[in-house]
Amino acid sequence: MTASSDRAGRLVANRVLLTLWVAALLASALLPFAAMAPNRLVSGEAIKLIVALTTWQSAGLALLALLLALAALSRPLSATQGLRLTLVVAPLTLLLTLYALGDYAGRALAEASPAARVSQGAAFWVLVFCTLLMIVDAFQRLRAPLWVGGAYGLALVAAIAGLFASGQFNALSILNEYFNIQDAFADQLLTHLRLVGLALAPALAIGLPLGLLAHRRPALRGSLFGTLNFFQTIPSIALFALLVAPLSALGDSFPLLRELGVKGIGAAPAIIALIMYSLLPVVRNTHAGFAGVAPATLEAARGMGMTRRQVLWRVEIPLALPVILSGLRIVTVQAIGLTVVAALIGAGGLGAFVFQGLGQYAIDLVLLGAVPTIALAVVADFLLQILVAISRPAGGR
Amino acid sequence: MIELQGLTKTYAGKNVVEDISLRVESGEFGVLIGPSGCGKSTTLRMINQLIPLSRGRILLGDEDVSRLKPEQLRRRMGYAIQSIGLFPHWTVAENIAVVPNLLKWPRARVDARIDELMNLFHLEAGEYRDKYPHQLSGGQAQRVGVARALAADPEVLLMDEPFGAVDPLTREVLQNEMLRVHEQTRKTIVFVTHDMDEALKLASKVAILNQGRLVQYDRPIELLVDPADGFVSDFIGKADLGLKLLSRRWVDQYCRPPCLERDSGAGRHSWEVDADGRPLALHGGRLSDDGEARTAVNGEWIATPEMTMKEALSRMVWFRVMVLPVIDQAGKLIGEVTMEGVMGRQP
Amino acid sequence: MNRASLFVPTAPRDWLLPVLAALLVALTLFMAKLEPLFAAAFPHLDVVVYQRESFLQLTLDHLGLVLVSSLISIGIGGAAGLFVTRATGREFEPMVSSLAAIGQTFPPAAVLAIVVPLAGFGFVPTIVALSLYGLLPVVQNTIAGLGSVPPTTLEAARGTGMSAAQILWRVELPLAMRVIIAGVRVSVIINIGTATIGSTVGAQSLGTPIIAGLVGDNIAYVIQGAVLVGLLAIVSDLLFERLERRFRYGA
Repeated sequence: MTASSDRAGRLVANRVLLTLWVAALLASALLPFAAMAPNRLVSGEAIKLIVALTTWQSAGLALLALLLALAALSRPLSATQGLRLTLVVAPLTLLLTLYALGDYAGRALAEASPAARVSQGAAFWVLVFCTLLMIVDAFQRLRAPLWVGGAYGLALVAAIAGLFASGQFNALSILNEYFNIQDAFADQLLTHLRLVGLALAPALAIGLPLGLLAHRRPALRGSLFGTLNFFQTIPSIALFALLVAPLSALGDSFPLLRELGVKGIGAAPAIIALIMYSLLPVVRNTHAGFAGVAPATLEAARGMGMTRRQVLWRVEIPLALPVILSGLRIVTVQAIGLTVVAALIGAGGLGAFVFQGLGQYAIDLVLLGAVPTIALAVVADFLLQILVAISRPAGGR
Repeated sequence: MIELQGLTKTYAGKNVVEDISLRVESGEFGVLIGPSGCGKSTTLRMINQLIPLSRGRILLGDEDVSRLKPEQLRRRMGYAIQSIGLFPHWTVAENIAVVPNLLKWPRARVDARIDELMNLFHLEAGEYRDKYPHQLSGGQAQRVGVARALAADPEVLLMDEPFGAVDPLTREVLQNEMLRVHEQTRKTIVFVTHDMDEALKLASKVAILNQGRLVQYDRPIELLVDPADGFVSDFIGKADLGLKLLSRRWVDQYCRPPCLERDSGAGRHSWEVDADGRPLALHGGRLSDDGEARTAVNGEWIATPEMTMKEALSRMVWFRVMVLPVIDQAGKLIGEVTMEGVMGRQP
Repeated sequence: MNRASLFVPTAPRDWLLPVLAALLVALTLFMAKLEPLFAAAFPHLDVVVYQRESFLQLTLDHLGLVLVSSLISIGIGGAAGLFVTRATGREFEPMVSSLAAIGQTFPPAAVLAIVVPLAGFGFVPTIVALSLYGLLPVVQNTIAGLGSVPPTTLEAARGTGMSAAQILWRVELPLAMRVIIAGVRVSVIINIGTATIGSTVGAQSLGTPIIAGLVGDNIAYVIQGAVLVGLLAIVSDLLFERLERRFRYGA
């Protein structure tokens, strides 16, 4: 009721933007932007932002920061203008930060020993994080449709990929690490995706009918959900590990199975565990999707003379689809994450780099496993979110 | 024609519908009414086999419906319910086309039928054809629901309190449309309601149910003047029985030629008309019996031949006149109804 | 015991909690007693019961990690959820909500692997990582729980003359509590799992024998650690289920 009058009288129009701006500024002043180390395994000397940047880069960043501050204020720009300005300036800030880091690494290494490494520091991460949040916040306030956000995100990703492709970051330690393991990286990435796919396909094949069954037979629901929740509760590493023993026994006693890949260590226990984890969300959402179809709609469908099968395929499934796909979204993201842990039982995947890196105290190797996993999860989440939106009945929200 | 013979439904040893026999002739508008839990909806849902019947027989024409596959039977009967149940993922046109598509009508015939039905229910095809159910008002959605029920030109139309969830104004409009549609299509209709006024307004015959049994099955007027027992007269409501009777009477039954000259007829009033025969004013005809008073006719204190006498009486009371002009569609004065007429004629 | 009480109907899984809890305690204390069993099952192993640390100590370490990090998560997460549902913080609500939603798509193991090395290996950095990740479900459910209180109920509360603080404590929090506890439940269960992986970043936990077993090809160690941590998770989950039930009002 008083929100609008409050806003009119206030100097700051967008407190979220201002908070992020202050956080980014403090981090840039207090935390290291980069680290310079004589070799791969020691932690390096902290380099502040002000030291790392050239004059024109500092000036550019300062200008962008001023513009962002302007966007957060209520005058002279209107709220919408402020948000549009944010959507232009925040990604420029992000790109300049990325560029500056790569540029600094190139300059610093030109006069250092060949073993020296430059890696990114906390201030760099905070700057990336804050600018991304500024963009998300601006989109939320503008209430832009999903596809606009998607197109914008795609453009931003393309710009960053362009920086990568131009070799701007090649001097960075993490890319050195990447060039060392380039082939293995592609292999493990594929292994990771294959594990997720091999787990999700059977999980859907079992989970969808089970979900329908839970919907049709309420008596089964309690024990079914109870059992599946049991699996879901057991920590991933424990479930992976617990499957190692019986599978190795199975593989030892049946050479044929062993040849098919059933053995204690490796992909088999990982895939089985991932299926067990995926069942609950698939079954639960399938059931919820069917339960969400209005009884009146079903009565009308039957009253119109549809057969059971027609009711199922023409009415129930199309109406339940968005909820079922939300379940798929949950298990996809979950499986991508759990597959990291599967590396501990020798299933491979990006987790292999994570644990290898942790074992060697090689942070860059850890990042090389962890960051792509996170990116994979976020991208899968976003794509499936779009799929869910598309699956909604055209007009019905 | 649809005939129920000894229809019985037993749930857990209790008869919720017991031995109901009645017949709705072709083209008739049959209404099932009763207090909640009387078994009227159950009866209706047994007709299209949404609920299996325990005993008895249902004839559609001269076919025993138990010989038909339920799906085939339901495609021959339209079905409209209170909660409408439009398919939220389909447009208005797709909703209407459900049964024709199930029956695999050719595309062109389906399209033509959609247009015909939208026209019948005064839904602007250009505007509403591609809308989704959530974009419709309650009244529009129910029109689509009824249009959908009629889509495949069914032999029988089953309606379960279709207007129970809309506001009173919309309900009245929908009832009038239903009467008009029935007039135009002459469908055999079985209609469930708990609203006595709705039943009296729509029905050619009313079946009153109580605790699963059929208490009386008669024409509305007979229910009013000759209730079978205390339950029926209680259910109809004694308080405004006279008004209910008038709601089954129409102005054209009471209409008499207008008095155009003073003192020429029974009443001491006369009508002033213009060159086209439209009434301009009433001289006299007020309660005070002042023959000199001139009351200008406006658009509201008039009657039309198809108006109920209840409505006409209501207008006389509201506008404080003893007589209403009856006009035709062109607005021409064709007769009058008077307070004395209301009183004088035996129903 | 009163005979009649035998026939009091109970929830179908109520017997499960005491049985599994007792099993957890017994195994924690007396795992070494099972040595003959493991020796028979795995005859090729020299040592069949993990001995570098007692299972009691490992369990306590694991619980310590989870308890400390969960308390931090609840404190910060609850406060953040509360802040963004009040008039002063409402502007931050969309941002915080989407941060919680996006953050939960991050794999907990990846978060652990990134955060812990940044802060130096060991107990405290692991706590930081667990608390950080555990925050997200708590924040999300606090916002959802407080948002699910019907506006009519709030209006009625205002109408009776309650102050904002009274409305919060007597109406909003009790009604939101079930959803908030559900968030804490998710957070704790995830933390129990992630703490297991904490043994790869230098924090001792029930994951330690699992990793040692996997590295040293000793399946007996793996089973011992996995059974205990699995039991711990399930017992905690059942405890939270009971707690949630106490806050179910009608619905």
